[in-house]
Amino acid sequence: MTVEYVDAGHAINQGDLSGKSGDAPPVAQSVDYERIRNARSEPHNWLTYYGAYDGQRYSPLDQINTDNVKNLAPAWMFQCGSSGLIAGASTYSFEAAPLVVDGVMYVSGWDGWAWALDARTGTEIWRYKHATPFDVSLCCGNVNRGMAVAKGKAFYVTPNAHLLALDAVTGKPVWDKVYGDVRAGESATVAPLVVKNLVIVGSSGGEFGVRGHLDAFDVDTGEHQWRCYMVPKPGEPGSETWPSDGEAWARGGANCWVTGTFDPETNLLYVGTGNPAPDFDGGVREGDNLYTDSIVAVDVDSGQIRWHYQCTPHDVWDYDSIGECILFEKDGRKLLGHFDKNGYFFVVDRTNGQLQHITPFVDRIDWGTITRDGKVTPARYPDKEGDPVHFFPGPAGAKEWTHAAYSPKTELFYVPVQDVGATATRRRREFKESIPYWGAGVQVDIEDMAGSVSAFDAKGQEKWRWRNELPMCASVLATGGDLVFAGEPSGEFNALDARTGERLWQFQCGSGHHSSPTTYSIDGRQYIAVPVGWGAWAEGFLPGMLGAGHGSALIVFALPESS
Amino acid sequence: MTTTDDRSALLRELGLDRQNHGTIGRLLAVGNVARAEDGPDGRMKAQIRINADELAFDPAVLVLPHGGTVDLEVFNDDLNTHCMLFPSNGDRQFIWLVNHSRGTATLNLDGPGYYWFSSPTGNDEGRGLTGAIAVLGDTPPEARLDRPDQPRP
Repeated sequence: MTVEYVDAGHAINQGDLSGKSGDAPPVAQSVDYERIRNARSEPHNWLTYYGAYDGQRYSPLDQINTDNVKNLAPAWMFQCGSSGLIAGASTYSFEAAPLVVDGVMYVSGWDGWAWALDARTGTEIWRYKHATPFDVSLCCGNVNRGMAVAKGKAFYVTPNAHLLALDAVTGKPVWDKVYGDVRAGESATVAPLVVKNLVIVGSSGGEFGVRGHLDAFDVDTGEHQWRCYMVPKPGEPGSETWPSDGEAWARGGANCWVTGTFDPETNLLYVGTGNPAPDFDGGVREGDNLYTDSIVAVDVDSGQIRWHYQCTPHDVWDYDSIGECILFEKDGRKLLGHFDKNGYFFVVDRTNGQLQHITPFVDRIDWGTITRDGKVTPARYPDKEGDPVHFFPGPAGAKEWTHAAYSPKTELFYVPVQDVGATATRRRREFKESIPYWGAGVQVDIEDMAGSVSAFDAKGQEKWRWRNELPMCASVLATGGDLVFAGEPSGEFNALDARTGERLWQFQCGSGHHSSPTTYSIDGRQYIAVPVGWGAWAEGFLPGMLGAGHGSALIVFALPESS
Repeated sequence: MTTTDDRSALLRELGLDRQNHGTIGRLLAVGNVARAEDGPDGRMKAQIRINADELAFDPAVLVLPHGGTVDLEVFNDDLNTHCMLFPSNGDRQFIWLVNHSRGTATLNLDGPGYYWFSSPTGNDEGRGLTGAIAVLGDTPPEARLDRPDQPRP
């Protein structure tokens, strides 16, 4: 006898079982180029990745200040642990910079997650989960650095190199474009940047021997507008810095895996590029290897490179120059400040790339030297096959991708510093598409390390230093309340006096910091938001904390409402 | 050294391909492999079952010839209650499956690559109710790198 099956119905969205509240108010509809360009004039919002196009990670908000920060306390928390097997199950990390538009927070997580939250209460409004292949190539963890918002849409990238435009009200997809080849080892982690009517994104995958690129898509339609490769083909300008025979250029790296900055007056994007590939074996790619490890100025309309400044020619230490390019003015000059993984602070004229000066910002640098006027002399590098070479800084750099900040109020830069060395042993290998292409065995030190938040003026003179036993691996945030917020790998979230470096407040968040805190206000109440979730490629930047617990919480702080 | 031909026999001998023999549960992804059926419009369809007392999906590995939308018909032929949580663009798809029940699910997956699905209740996932959906194909031409073809492993 046949027994009829019980009708189980049709599968539903898992999120329908999460208690989320529905649609967001249409706050993102009126966010356009003009508003983002003038983002600092609406400090209650954090409209774009760095808070403003200039990359300063500075907010004029000053309700929370040096006098009252001692009263700062959690206002709400959003936790987003996931179910099932995910790519990089041991390397996920919460690295985003939360955006806020008129009371709605847009934040992305690892493995294709994006959320809209009520920025006052933390209540989930909607979620979007892009399905991520378990086997996608991820050099440095299952991570995502954040979203962009404009014209009613919320944009973010996925680990398998899709750029998505979601309806900012409903969280439903509007368009979906692929801009990287997962079979080549490409992926995506960058927070998109909206400039004019373009969404600009870069590729990840430099450890797999890809050819780095920057892409622009139309905000409304998703139509591809331009692609700018950061390694020239034979015959193109810069190709003379690659071997004339073979295909080293085709595997050359130079990925733009961190968001660029933009100056509307020069019409230039300022993008840092990643390491050459293979990372540590320079013998297969003789030459300077442009435009790897460079600050590259790209015309935003055409996608053409206008000028470049290479921070580490012929890199064999994995010294990406993807660190933020902070735009600032000094003595009437339009300048750009950049803290590089190689341990030096570069200041260039952003109209033409002309070097102003270079200053070391970490105590231990022995890979080589760079003089103040830019002469580079390598000293210690993996050159002979099988010969271990120890050098400072290690491949995570004296500052990782996590960002420095600049306060126009104090005229100081605040930089999270990692003072950690490593040993690399050259091991030449044949290139095979999608297989890691380092050209070395690498071991980062687990002892004899230090960290700091250090303050520098525009000339590179150190003004103060807040020391930490562990390297500092999270972005810092500067505010008009003369505060600098900085998270530690061991979970502490600190507020420092922006003028002295004195620690004024601390909260243990329960997991290490590897994200970009932001600030905003609603109805006059200022909030500080920090994603917390240790992970990513800790074996590269702080293996001494490789065993620390993961986390997956967004914690938002405010002063008590009665104060 | 085990050859491919020996693999099934050795798993059987070691008791890793069924419940509570070699290990407590069943080793993941040692079950059947099946292809989804590709429709004329590119939309695919397939069936996935949970057989009685196996705590395994049948097939344990479902292969899609390309990315896109697949319509699944799912069955719980077991004498216990389970569920299925599938990957899909937009949100994971969840269905609760009491004993002897049938349901449907619609998934959209990019590929190439493979994805896990499971029964997220108790430790069904560890006992064997974790399966894979493998999506074949390539990245669209417009997204590929401008470079000569490169050697692959």
